[in-house]
Amino acid sequence: MPSQKDVKDRISSVRNVHQITRAMEMVAAARLRKAQKRIEALRPYAEAIRKMTRRAVGAAESIPNLPILEEHDSIDRVGILLVTGDRGLAGPFNSQIVRAGTRRGREVESDGPSVVWYASGKRGASTLGFRGLEVAASFSGFTDRPQYSDARDIAQTLIAAYTDGNIDRLEIFYNGFVSALNQEVRHETLLPLQQAQLLDGGDDDADDEDGGDEDATEDAEGHDQGRSLWIYEPDPEEILKRLAPDFVEISIYRALLESTASEHGARMTAMRSASDNASELLDDLQLEANRQRQADITQELLEIVAGAEALR
Amino acid sequence: MARTKFPVEVLTPDGEVFSDEIEMLSTRTAMGSIGVLANHAPLLATLDPCELRLFTGDGDPVKFAQGEGYLQVIANQALVLVEEAIDPSDLDTSDLDSKLSEAQDRVESSEEDTEERRRAERDVRRWEAFKEVAGGS
Repeated sequence: MPSQKDVKDRISSVRNVHQITRAMEMVAAARLRKAQKRIEALRPYAEAIRKMTRRAVGAAESIPNLPILEEHDSIDRVGILLVTGDRGLAGPFNSQIVRAGTRRGREVESDGPSVVWYASGKRGASTLGFRGLEVAASFSGFTDRPQYSDARDIAQTLIAAYTDGNIDRLEIFYNGFVSALNQEVRHETLLPLQQAQLLDGGDDDADDEDGGDEDATEDAEGHDQGRSLWIYEPDPEEILKRLAPDFVEISIYRALLESTASEHGARMTAMRSASDNASELLDDLQLEANRQRQADITQELLEIVAGAEALR
Repeated sequence: MARTKFPVEVLTPDGEVFSDEIEMLSTRTAMGSIGVLANHAPLLATLDPCELRLFTGDGDPVKFAQGEGYLQVIANQALVLVEEAIDPSDLDTSDLDSKLSEAQDRVESSEEDTEERRRAERDVRRWEAFKEVAGGS
């Protein structure tokens, strides 16, 4: 039977944990809102890039032969990029990515090609390392608040690996943000970039809800004045060469942003249930403490009564 | 004499950083420096890292350190799409120095005519341009 002091010590330590998890929950909630806003902020840019690409494709005489559009003849090495967080304590957020990624890795390897691992976030890199898998390149230090330049770094490293022939295909795993309570593992193939993706944008936010009017004026301009009146600096073909890698960068940036929002959502949920559990435990311990105190009082009373009885 | 104004929007992946009517826009395309006034012909251009200047008509121009991007002029409206548009006073010279030397190391260590080399060279150009912007403000 624990003494009154033991129970009190436990109560104070559980209360501390409760305070910490509450604070983490609130921080995650605030960051989640910011992360969601940043996903929204990316849409107009992605949309504008998509429209510009359509215009350049329309003006170009032919779609240039870009290395990132070309499929490699044989698939010997498949790159898999896992997008995780730098920190844990976020429920299944990190582990579900690593699990899905390594499962896919085994699938790929059973077909012959070897897998080249890439990781964004310390957790992904360390878990892969722990499992004895070699990580070709890892990127970390930004998962709380990724910048576009982080996405550009990742994209260009991977594009370089693809065009220099170090990988023949690139797949990505990340947590797609559905809601604070719900994150789903998304699996996409980034390289080679599909021509179709370049032509119609291939963006899931491609639906023109806001761009209707703008489109009309643009088209009117384009048709009335004819394409020849447009000035292209440099040629449309050259512009396309710059635009194509941007699609990969934007895809990766979106994945990073979604992953960040998911991480905060997952952490918020995990910390909320931790706080709930701590409250429950506190109630139980308080009851236990009261019972213990009552038992001690009863014990003392019994001793006094017994002593008085004996003196009679 | 006051010039005719035209609307300009500057968009980055992190949202809109500027949207207003201005007199002149000055930046650098892949072909060289360019100034855009109102009623410019339709234009589509790729932009290189440099200082983006937006002359609002009163006082000093609004300046940004611009990363790679695109400039589109349609129907007397300019749209600047850039990967980064940073207020010059927010640039950190020592940070840029370390990024620049890191990129230069990568140029040294990478092999000729690889994507890796081209990428490092692009990075060098960007950080050099940003350093210039930071120094000039």
